[in-house]
Amino acid sequence: MSKTFDRYASFIFFIVGMAFMIESGRISHSAYGSNVGPNVFPFLLGLILGLLSIKLFIETMKYQNERKEKEALDYKKFLIILVAAILYALLLEPLGYIISTFLFLLVGFQTIEKGGWVKTVLISASFSFGVYYLFAEVLKGTLPGLPAWFSS
Amino acid sequence: MDTVHYLLEGFGTALLPINILFAFIGVLIGTAVGVLPGIGPMSGVALLIPVTASMTGGMDPAAAATSSIILLAGVYYGAMYGGSTTSILLNTPGESSSVVTTLDGYQLARQGRAGSALAIAAIGSFCAGIVSLIGLALLAKPLSEVALKFGPAEYFSLMLLGLAAVSGLAGNSMTKAGIMTIFGLLLSTIGLDNVSGVARFTYNIPALYGGLEFLTVAVGLFALGEVFKTILHKESHDGNLAKVGKILPSKQELKESSGPIARGSLLGFFVGVLPGAGATLASFFSYIMEKKISKTPEKFGKGTIAGVAAPESANNAASGGAMIPLLTLGIPGSGTTAILMGALIMYNIQPGPLLFQDHPGVAWGLIASMFIGNVMLLILNMPLVKVFAKIIETPPKYLIPIIIAISVFGVYAVQVNTFDLILLIICGLAGYYLASNDFPLAPLVLGLVLGPMIENNMRRALTASNGDFMVFLEKPISLAFIVIAVLWIVIPFVLKLKGKKVLINEEA
Repeated sequence: MSKTFDRYASFIFFIVGMAFMIESGRISHSAYGSNVGPNVFPFLLGLILGLLSIKLFIETMKYQNERKEKEALDYKKFLIILVAAILYALLLEPLGYIISTFLFLLVGFQTIEKGGWVKTVLISASFSFGVYYLFAEVLKGTLPGLPAWFSS
Repeated sequence: MDTVHYLLEGFGTALLPINILFAFIGVLIGTAVGVLPGIGPMSGVALLIPVTASMTGGMDPAAAATSSIILLAGVYYGAMYGGSTTSILLNTPGESSSVVTTLDGYQLARQGRAGSALAIAAIGSFCAGIVSLIGLALLAKPLSEVALKFGPAEYFSLMLLGLAAVSGLAGNSMTKAGIMTIFGLLLSTIGLDNVSGVARFTYNIPALYGGLEFLTVAVGLFALGEVFKTILHKESHDGNLAKVGKILPSKQELKESSGPIARGSLLGFFVGVLPGAGATLASFFSYIMEKKISKTPEKFGKGTIAGVAAPESANNAASGGAMIPLLTLGIPGSGTTAILMGALIMYNIQPGPLLFQDHPGVAWGLIASMFIGNVMLLILNMPLVKVFAKIIETPPKYLIPIIIAISVFGVYAVQVNTFDLILLIICGLAGYYLASNDFPLAPLVLGLVLGPMIENNMRRALTASNGDFMVFLEKPISLAFIVIAVLWIVIPFVLKLKGKKVLINEEA
């Protein structure tokens, strides 16, 4: 158990709970034919969440200060993949499914383990084309195809 | 006679070529999911929802729902089976429900009896599947008839009980489990209120009017969360893969394991029916029980076949038993069944007592297909065990980015907007950080799925009582549920105060 994380978490959940309580006050208080409006449920939940996070905060006081051997986390790879995933999500529509997926997989494979370019390119290409073909052509689903400027 | 009639009709549905195909794909992928260390049954099922949704796109809603749920349930119990393969061959449980199997399974593998251990696990899982199927068929109708008599107050209290049971047993800290449950319920209030039509917490963001999509949250929390964890912790499985060896078990081994299989199946089934318990606890209990009643308890842990047969039967039976509260009451008892329920709701099919009236085809088709799926698993796994063992060697290099790509594809295919993709990544980050700090994720998903129903029933009950909260305590059935719910939370709490160790369910 990490004392710091749990403290921050209890703060955040407390704020979230309070925010829901306060904001539920702005929702209409009555529903037609009922005196229990749409604000009641979120208000109660916000209250309970607030109380629980106070309880969690008090519990963190009792944690023993244990210094565990910190495992070396691979933040570099993680950040590269995370940024790549965010870019992938943002560029999916402008670039189209095939190109963005191909690029993301290329970056992803090479970040996890360098080398093996031929295999990397082959798997990325067959995944992005394969999924697009199966989904958009065979099953007639909606996926952004190639961008307009690319096909012309 | 009604049950037999419905069951036969269910087999009619399940034996349609498309449903046989779907069941086959389901158990095949499920076994692979169980074998692969990076993906658990929860993320496996969540990832496949969008895939099935697009596969069934052209069918009429009820048939599409039946086929999808057949596939998704196949993934669920297939994973229970696949998890045993890695436990036995690699000493690494693929799922938490197979942790106990490693104790004796790996020892057997070192003695060169891996093949028979795998075969016994398959046979045990099969028998357990049949036991839970019979239980499901027998209990489904009477239970749903009882549940039909419930009013909104009873329902509200029953769902409260379900939530209390799951959060009482999930994770090390009950406070954290409670926070996650309430947070899930809160998230479910975002969007248009379905009683009054008022927009809540949307702040004029159009994507929020429909509420946070359950699918996006589930895929993000479970699938992406696990992927992030794998990248950060450089999880590798370099252990030596034991040789599979002779597959057919000897007569002696069959005789030794028949008792544990029968007991494990029954115990597992009843543990599975209880909300919050689930497959992991079932496998633990059955192992402990076998050790207690065995004439040679000293053999346990050194490679006895009963130590594989009992927990593997129990975890499979539990996954069948868990279907009962889901189908008859509409209350999922675990994270995976919550995801199955979310999938049903996506198809506009509300699990619960009315399911057996309104959509008997879906309910009985699923029950029958679980039987067929179990037969398939047995046929598939006996000869193919060596092939599945190969899947373990899939390099993570390719696996991790492809899981991310499938998540993105799945969410986009169903939601068709960028907002959900960003939400997906945020949920993945949250999932990783929360899970690695002991905040259990299953209660959050459960809260998100049950939230709208709890709120509806609460408001209906309160409207009838003119806003008097005592209504939940005045009705005897509702009062009983609330009392049990409170006890469920309080008893472990008291036990903890007394310094006793409380069993928890890590699989959730």
